[in-house]
Amino acid sequence: MAAPCTPSPFLAVIAQRVQMTTPIEELKKSRSDLVTLFSRREISGAFPGSYTEIMDHYFRRSLQESKAGQSLFREKKPFAFVAVGGYGRRDLCLHSDIDVIILFNAKIPSLAKKLAADAFYPLWDAGLDLGHGIRSVKDCLMLSKEDFEVLTSMMDARFVCGDSPLYLFLVQALQKKVVSKKAKAFNRWLEEQDEIRVRSIGDASYLLEPDLKEGIGGLRDYHHMLWLAKAFFDLGVPRDLEYTGKLSHHEYQELKENLSFVSLVRNHLHLMSGRKRDRLTFEYQEEIARALGFQDQGKHLAVEQFLGQLHRAMASIKSLRRSFILSHLSQRKNHKGGLQPQALSENIHISQGETGFSAPGAILSEPFLLMEVFEWSSRLDAPLSLEAKRLVREFLYLVDETFRRSQRAIQSFLRVVDSPKAFETLDQMLEVGFLGAFIPEFEAIIDRVQFGDYHAFPVGRHALQTLRYLKNVASQKDILLLDILADVPHPQLLYLASLFHDIGKVDREHARRGVLITQGILRRFSYHKRATEDLLFLIEHHLLLVETATRRDLDDEKIIVQCARTIGTIERLKMLYLLTWADARATGPRAWNEWIANLLLELFLKLLHTLEKGELATPDASRKARQTMRQVRRESANLLEPKELEGIFEAMTPRYLLGTRATDIVRHLQMFKELQEGERERPSNAFRLDLKEDVSDGTCEMANLTRDKPGLFSDIAGVLALNNINVLSAHIYTWRDGTAVDLFKVTRPVDPIHSEEIWQKVRRDLEETFEQRPSLGHRFEQKAASSIWNRPKRPSQPPLVWVDNESSDFFTVIEAFADDRIGLLYLITRTLFNLGLDIRIARSPPRGIRSPMSFTYETWKDRRWSIQHRWRR
Amino acid sequence: MKKIEAIIKPFKLDDVKEGLSALGIKGLTVSEVKGFGRQRGHREVYRGAEYQVDFVSKVKIEVVVASDLVEEAVKAIQEKARTGQIGDGKIFVIPVENVIRIRTGETGKEAI
Repeated sequence: MAAPCTPSPFLAVIAQRVQMTTPIEELKKSRSDLVTLFSRREISGAFPGSYTEIMDHYFRRSLQESKAGQSLFREKKPFAFVAVGGYGRRDLCLHSDIDVIILFNAKIPSLAKKLAADAFYPLWDAGLDLGHGIRSVKDCLMLSKEDFEVLTSMMDARFVCGDSPLYLFLVQALQKKVVSKKAKAFNRWLEEQDEIRVRSIGDASYLLEPDLKEGIGGLRDYHHMLWLAKAFFDLGVPRDLEYTGKLSHHEYQELKENLSFVSLVRNHLHLMSGRKRDRLTFEYQEEIARALGFQDQGKHLAVEQFLGQLHRAMASIKSLRRSFILSHLSQRKNHKGGLQPQALSENIHISQGETGFSAPGAILSEPFLLMEVFEWSSRLDAPLSLEAKRLVREFLYLVDETFRRSQRAIQSFLRVVDSPKAFETLDQMLEVGFLGAFIPEFEAIIDRVQFGDYHAFPVGRHALQTLRYLKNVASQKDILLLDILADVPHPQLLYLASLFHDIGKVDREHARRGVLITQGILRRFSYHKRATEDLLFLIEHHLLLVETATRRDLDDEKIIVQCARTIGTIERLKMLYLLTWADARATGPRAWNEWIANLLLELFLKLLHTLEKGELATPDASRKARQTMRQVRRESANLLEPKELEGIFEAMTPRYLLGTRATDIVRHLQMFKELQEGERERPSNAFRLDLKEDVSDGTCEMANLTRDKPGLFSDIAGVLALNNINVLSAHIYTWRDGTAVDLFKVTRPVDPIHSEEIWQKVRRDLEETFEQRPSLGHRFEQKAASSIWNRPKRPSQPPLVWVDNESSDFFTVIEAFADDRIGLLYLITRTLFNLGLDIRIARSPPRGIRSPMSFTYETWKDRRWSIQHRWRR
Repeated sequence: MKKIEAIIKPFKLDDVKEGLSALGIKGLTVSEVKGFGRQRGHREVYRGAEYQVDFVSKVKIEVVVASDLVEEAVKAIQEKARTGQIGDGKIFVIPVENVIRIRTGETGKEAI
């Protein structure tokens, strides 16, 4: 970092104090003054330079006042104080190490030790971190050759005081004998260091708490650039990067600004933590944001703005370094294109593995080239050259409304999105600002940071990372994901969804807003209507699966059915699942783990089965259910308060709503109200029985409402059997609040004249039964002994029982086939009750020759065999 | 003092927290755990490939309470966590020898 070489006004102020104190006291005072000025924000970017000057001044004074130094000078044994490392670069933060060498020519005299003591001891005593050495030129050369770490330090060497020709001699010798000979090896070593850095720093948590020095896009990136420039291009000062054309003026300016900002943050960090801390952990983030002058703007917190700017600066440093190295230095092994640029189209070429513009001027007349170059880049997996990126940046203003609306550009963009290298290409687009220019809605969220330890990336990056995960499903070794992705007919929707799913995050509430914003974009794209609907669905509901899986009861069929209805089609479900997965993976380490994955998988499979079987969650089923509810609302308006009604609707199961006529539901609601009153009088065994005779076919519809309890069904069946009432069909429902709704179609009592009496008896029997069970069983035994029942109507066949644990995620389905006889229902239900099984739903369609009765109830696999076994008895 | 450990269904966490909070019990430890119980795992099939779903995701709650509060706390947890279906979970009550607050050094009931 170039700092002005002329003394700052600051030093001029303290110059007066010079002769009053010892060098170390002066240093201490100046340093603390500097810190005070910094904390008062009177100095910020000038800190490193000023601190360097103070140190330089200290060494100069120390030298002047050192007796050993004077002796050496008199004895004509030249030496120099040389600053190396960060100190050499004039890049000192508050608690940085001070690295300095006392350089001698060939031999190191014994007085050197005394000189060192004079200069260095006071610094140690003052508590400063000092890196020091006494070396001859030969020593330096040897060490640099052996250890590249030392070499990098030496490359930053800067003369402080003493004999300057000696210093120059070192610099020249270093360049001639070490640097120029070892340039390639040095480059390789730097690449290795990089890989090590990325491996240890690549973890997502480091993105939340960036390491300002060693992190990706940190100060180290810049140092690497400098060292390489010095090694290969023999550059003197950083400014030469611009002067020699390695970087454009704009790039250099931007780099300086970004470095200055990162350094400033680092300095604040040193100040606040009181030591040499380079990792910006959470505890300091808010404070530093305030110290830098950021302020909350509505819902966009100061700390988020600060982190956004920091991320931008570090991303810019990282990308500049990457381009710089690629363009000037990296070893090319097997790249496409060879040495001669190959034309790809009239104005785009590929050269040494990078795409670029053949004739930059053509861009002015043909702005579309700005998009074309990216399309080529994605097709050939060849990143844009540094120059090409520069040009895109310069000509961004050509991306106007016409450009954004042109189908040519849009289709080209969509092709990029579809390509395997979409992430890499879009990343570059983001870097140079093209993505934000082409889709201004995206620009707004690019650097939006969400403060906290949950989101690892700013929103823009996160969107790209989501896309990246989707493109890399194959490498996840997750067969299920691959299978699901293979089933998605239009993956482009998925990719666009990943780009836009958080586009509404301009402030907190984002799903709905994201839909509106995306609608705008898709309209501009003239995107296909049907696809637009699916895409908007994905964006509106991209959190649906996670929220349902973690906050709702997955064992409740209704929840699943409702969720399935919201989703609507299997295709949408699959896309939603993939988007959910990618979104979570791209959020941060806390958002995805085996535990959540398991819940999501369970939900996904249940939804899939529901949608596949179709009976409850098809659009038709949804419509029918809604119609039924509307009608019920109308017809029960005088019966219940709307809120009460909605509450009961919540309790009703999907099957009940689909399988029952609206008029009947209204009747049941009436009964429900009466039941509630009845319960107040006789809480334990209230029930409501309703009969409707159908004269035409001699049947009766019987509805019974009561609180569900074990054995209920069999009790009712028993009572009916005792009274010789034949059950033709039964539909049993259990509402989610525990209300049992038992609907029977029965034959009229054997004696039609006294039917009323018989029904009275049935009522009484039911009452009795609900109070004491044993009497029913006993009476039944008696009846069973009676001959009437034991006469089979037809040749008997062995009963059949099917137990199905697979077809429903919530219940086990049992189907029983047996010869028709009165009391059959009772026997079956009794057996089930005795097995401890709870009947939730029962269906027995009107019977023909044989009587199949199918029951659906809950159990678990280990019970299955016991049922088969019992049944045979 | 006793420690109450409860394994519950994930979506019941907020309800249980509420129930305990109503008794004045505010400090809980919550972990995401895997259950291998009677509910067991099962095999799912997708496009002809089988996926073994071995465990069920549950949430574990741990809280230390004064002995006189244990019964109420257990009751509250049970009420709030219950759905009536298999997989509702279990509650364990374990005796505690001592409790120490790290910051202040308080021990015993005060430290809860």
